Amino acid sequence: MNPIINEIPVSYILGLAGILFSIGVLGVLIRRNIVIIFMSVELILNSVNLVFVTFSKALSHISGETVVFFVMAIAAAEAAVGLALVIAIFRHKKSTNVDELQSMRW
Amino acid sequence: MDEIIYMNIESSPSFLLFIFFGTVTVITALSVIFQKNPVVSAVSLVFTFFALAGIYGIMGALFIATMQVLVYAGAIMVLVVFVLMLLSQRAETLSRYREYPIRLVILSVFIFGFFFLLYSALTTGVPHSEQTGKGYELSQYSFPIQGTAAVNAKGNVATVGASTYLDYLLPFEMISILLLVAVLGAVILAKKRNTEVEQTKDTIL
Repeated sequence: MNPIINEIPVSYILGLAGILFSIGVLGVLIRRNIVIIFMSVELILNSVNLVFVTFSKALSHISGETVVFFVMAIAAAEAAVGLALVIAIFRHKKSTNVDELQSMRW
Repeated sequence: MDEIIYMNIESSPSFLLFIFFGTVTVITALSVIFQKNPVVSAVSLVFTFFALAGIYGIMGALFIATMQVLVYAGAIMVLVVFVLMLLSQRAETLSRYREYPIRLVILSVFIFGFFFLLYSALTTGVPHSEQTGKGYELSQYSFPIQGTAAVNAKGNVATVGASTYLDYLLPFEMISILLLVAVLGAVILAKKRNTEVEQTKDTIL
């Protein structure tokens, strides 16, 4: 395993990915607006992508970058379905605050 | 290891670009979760995605950097901002910037410099003719097709494409089915029910 990618130490990039993941988890925990929770999930997925690319370069194996492509496709599908759900919920509850969504029945 | 890191800090433009883009990533990601206005959060998230594209460019993953800009900063953020515009009931707060022209100028200079550095980061990964290309050197890919010679792909995009269609063909097809199902599900979920059409005909939602 190559510990330095283009003169950047691997540990620095992994640290950045860890910070980004922590920020995403914090956003999911502290925010109540459901669209911002979706944005935090996108941050988490992006930190995972960063780890995939880093190890793909460090191990000189291309599979990591291919998997990133799949992660992006799944994130797009998740955003489409999730935001459609947000619109459907907003039409019934007139709110995007997750604290007010306490029942599964409409 | 420590000596190499000190040497990098003094001399390497790649390392300085990484420090810059890492800082921008962390600051804008914090801005995403701590801003009160969701539209400001969305704009911060766009800059997070651009900074991550810059980091991918420095590391030589040019295809991923391009896809990051196209898919995340383009498509997904358009979707998110569109839904925010549909749902938002807050007062408009962006026009305050007209009262602070100096802040507007500083912001414009920062954004211009940011995109210039993004361009630098992307071209760092592009090989020049006289030196070993950083996007190319780790990207040789060969896959033995049954009974024939190996396929050699040079370059980042060709290598990722060869890996996708040779090693990961079944997951690729499953992803396409997943996207089809997701689009159908989104249409069905966001569709109005028949009983609601008469009541809400002249409103947006």
